[in-house]
Amino acid sequence: MNSPFTEPMSRRRLLQGLGLAATAPLLAACVGPGQSSTNNGSNAVTGSFDWKKAKGTTLKVLQTPHVYQQTYQPLFKEFTDLTGIEVVADLVPEADYYTKLNTELAGGSATHDAFMMGAYWVWQYGPPGWLEDLDPWINNTAATGAEFDYPDFFEGLRTSMKWDFKLGDAAGTGGTYALPWGFELNNIAYNKTVFDQKGIKPAETFDNLIQLAIDLTDRGNDRYGIAFRGSKSWATIHPGFMTQLAREGGKDYEVKDGKLTAAMNSQVAVDFTKKWADLAKKAGPTSWTTYEYPNCTGDLGDGKAMMVYDADSATYPKNVKGASKMAGQIAWHPGPAGPGGSMATNLWTWCWGMNSKSKNKLAAWLFMQWAAGKDAMNKAVQSGAFADPVRQSVFNGTFKQTLGGFPGYLEAFEAQVPEAKVLFTPQTRFLETTEDWAVAVQSIYGGADAKTTLDALATSNTNKVNS
Amino acid sequence: MSTRQHGAMRSADDTVGGRQAPTVSPARRKWRPYILSIPATVILIGILYPFVQGVGYTFLNYRATEGNVHFIGLSNYLQVFTEPLFWGSVRTTLVFAIVATVLETVLGVIIALLLNRSSLIGKIFEKVLILPLMIAPVIAGVIWKLMFNPQFGILNHIFHLGSTFDFLSEGRALWSIIMVDAWIYTPFVAILVLAGVRSLPKEPFEASAVDGAGWFYMFRRLMLPMMWPYILVAVIFRFMDCLKVFDIVYVLTQGGPGHATSTLQVNAYINSIINFNYSGGATYMFILWIIVYLTAQQLVKLLGRAQARAAGSEA
Repeated sequence: MNSPFTEPMSRRRLLQGLGLAATAPLLAACVGPGQSSTNNGSNAVTGSFDWKKAKGTTLKVLQTPHVYQQTYQPLFKEFTDLTGIEVVADLVPEADYYTKLNTELAGGSATHDAFMMGAYWVWQYGPPGWLEDLDPWINNTAATGAEFDYPDFFEGLRTSMKWDFKLGDAAGTGGTYALPWGFELNNIAYNKTVFDQKGIKPAETFDNLIQLAIDLTDRGNDRYGIAFRGSKSWATIHPGFMTQLAREGGKDYEVKDGKLTAAMNSQVAVDFTKKWADLAKKAGPTSWTTYEYPNCTGDLGDGKAMMVYDADSATYPKNVKGASKMAGQIAWHPGPAGPGGSMATNLWTWCWGMNSKSKNKLAAWLFMQWAAGKDAMNKAVQSGAFADPVRQSVFNGTFKQTLGGFPGYLEAFEAQVPEAKVLFTPQTRFLETTEDWAVAVQSIYGGADAKTTLDALATSNTNKVNS
Repeated sequence: MSTRQHGAMRSADDTVGGRQAPTVSPARRKWRPYILSIPATVILIGILYPFVQGVGYTFLNYRATEGNVHFIGLSNYLQVFTEPLFWGSVRTTLVFAIVATVLETVLGVIIALLLNRSSLIGKIFEKVLILPLMIAPVIAGVIWKLMFNPQFGILNHIFHLGSTFDFLSEGRALWSIIMVDAWIYTPFVAILVLAGVRSLPKEPFEASAVDGAGWFYMFRRLMLPMMWPYILVAVIFRFMDCLKVFDIVYVLTQGGPGHATSTLQVNAYINSIINFNYSGGATYMFILWIIVYLTAQQLVKLLGRAQARAAGSEA
């Protein structure tokens, strides 16, 4: 008698079996991803607003260790006293944070009800339906207290949380997918003591900045002119690079015939990128291609970097007494204006997103509402390290009172904030295409021809964003 | 002659330890192979299912952040094969694998030969040698990243390289990573080869010594051919591992600067996990699997031939 255990499996039977086995994942994959959540829980919340409406809930939030997170950690107890909601915060270092979050959301997990994120993530997490649309929550008076005052958030921040998921449409259209929490403008923080000793002032044009940074570089004494990010990451592009590129007249994409066309290879962009890479080489940190913002601000605080072109709220803590070697000696400048006097500034927000799969949406919304509320934010600012609160009332009140001996900080902020917004074009491949951009800048730094490299990048990115 | 036996005929062999073996009913006999094969089948499915699913993804346009997933045939393969990044990654992976394996093998053999001499220092080194193997490669990567730092890294300080010499710059990063890999895995090769050296028969060497053969002659004509199977085992392990290198590369450079250290695994990771492109990542992984599989087959054949030759030289 024939037996499957005594007879070798024929090639045909093996292939038949494998073919059948292959159909299962194929079919599963065809219906699995990309489904959006349409069940918004805000409709279920009725009656008058009460902080205790979700009393007894345990809320899980995902955070990355950051000044904002650290200033709010001690305040969580007040939230629990106010609402009866326990908050369990899981912390993941920033280098791995988005990998963790991406994996969790892509897997449809409801482990974390709310999470810290950046505005750019609205473009990634919004279209597949991973984020809750917050407009119904904001507009529901049973779920949102009268003191919440949504228009109190800076306008550029409110618009950067919104998108309609249509390629070519600007941010500010569509639903609201996150709540601003803290934000940052990109500008120059510099070692005022050294500048004063040498009798120099911050540069007002990009060419002058390059010269100044080179002049301040003294490798023999482990001192260099300017620090900015250079690692193989989207994060290399968005602070100083994007800000100065925009001031010089460059853009990421243009809309042509209803399609996005990459513009990072325009003549302006090529000239600028070449200068930027050259600046990194002549006056930047030696291991620039591994540099992230903590390296930059760390070098400023240690007195190694004379200037930093990065987020103001990231350099701010280094000037707090006892926080660094150079504390009390750092000053701020808006950075070089563009040829037409442009002060275009790319802004970054840390914000709160709600997991659309969360089973504790009301509790999550109460938490987000409290975290971005006036009371908690005023207290966070009073702690001394929370810079750039997202509410105009808190900025103009408590924050200005605590600023004290931070020379130029407020002036730089006020010079930049009118032109500050998210300067990138919303698109779903932001992370991938911007990382490719960082790789191109690294290659140019390594000696590759700027025009050829950026042309190849533009072709590739145009294909990617329109595919 | 009548018999009351049921089922299979009994024979004198049906005894266990001098006692009669228990009778197995035909029904149990029929199902026993199926039942006994359940654990192996479960394990096989656990291996096969993800593999087949991964291969299935390579024929889809599956991106986690986008809907409308459908069958696209060989488009992923066509796209990958026309990408300069892919061919760059193949080149980087092969350069890394070949150079690291050769370096580790040569150093490993030298260390094994030195340790083979019985001495107190040799015995101490034998113990110390395995220390790098006790450190997880990710942690080793973090340690080396700190040591490579131009500003405060110990290497620049020891070699008086100044703060402008960057071990992880575009032209040097790949060689620095190879150096780190060699630091971690040379002891593995050395230990494997040392075990081989110590198992070699003494007689051929004694006979050669009587005939007046020199050390180098004995090494080249006797020791090396007999050691060759052990060396090849080490080469197979290391080459396979190097082809799928990820951890130390990602910790040290993330595949940069530019694409200078982008190996196939790093690109697969970036595609799948960072860019949500599951199909693109799976395509990279499947191609890597084919490369590893074919290479392994050739190396195992080579090992078989070497073993046969070594057996001949021993005889």
